[in-house]
Amino acid sequence: MAATASAAPAESELDRSGAEEEPRATEPEEDAGSGQTGPTAGAQQHRLVKLPLSRIKTLMKADPDVSLASQESVFIIAKATELFVEMIAKDALVYAQQGKRKTLQRKDLDNAIEAIDEFAFLEGTLD
Amino acid sequence: MAERPEDLNLPNAVITRIIKEALPEGVNVSKEARRAISQAASVFVLYATSCANSFAMKAKRKTLNAGDVMSAMEEMEFERFLQPLREALEAYKKGQKGKKEASEQKRKDKEKKGTDENDKSRDEEEDEHMDDEQDGENEAEEEDVEN
Repeated sequence: MAATASAAPAESELDRSGAEEEPRATEPEEDAGSGQTGPTAGAQQHRLVKLPLSRIKTLMKADPDVSLASQESVFIIAKATELFVEMIAKDALVYAQQGKRKTLQRKDLDNAIEAIDEFAFLEGTLD
Repeated sequence: MAERPEDLNLPNAVITRIIKEALPEGVNVSKEARRAISQAASVFVLYATSCANSFAMKAKRKTLNAGDVMSAMEEMEFERFLQPLREALEAYKKGQKGKKEASEQKRKDKEKKGTDENDKSRDEEEDEHMDDEQDGENEAEEEDVEN
């Protein structure tokens, strides 16, 4: 895959010099648990993202229209996916709490998907 | 490399961890909910990729870049992600630059070491190279034998 530097205007106009790494450190065991080779996956992530970039890349390449993706784009999609997981978990929790439960259940997910516009793309996609 | 079905899923351990860190302590997540979130995450990747790719294709580029992904987030109504993503990208780019500089520095140090030290060590280095070449030749012979 080509690793091209992104020159999109949207990024260059923001000069966030104070950008810091994620406060939560990535444990090496996460990579082991995912079945990825430890050193390679660890070197790619350097604690900015937990999801293995190689797996994300495999998913991206499942799309027949995708020819090449820059390393940065794989990283950003991985990061966005993490944000998505956080978001959907928190939104589903609201429904669990409404039902006075401390355990998140599948139906809470379904409720969140139905109620929240951003999750409309998920309708009909889950088993 | 063919894609196996399990490759299209994201690692359970990592997904579970992200969920747990997002939720307050004392909250549990059922196995079915975890599975559904993991599936949803995979769908998210596919949808985001497809969306980003159409931006790349519109711009007549064959390589999907970070800007395409940002545009996709906006299109998908995940504007709330844009700021944290931009910050993460900055940090990532710095990290990549640091790694590149580190390996370049290593290379420079190696070369410098060769010139600073006396001729003897230089000869030794050259000897090592020769040894490598010999090994290479031996291997080649072995390959021929096997063939």
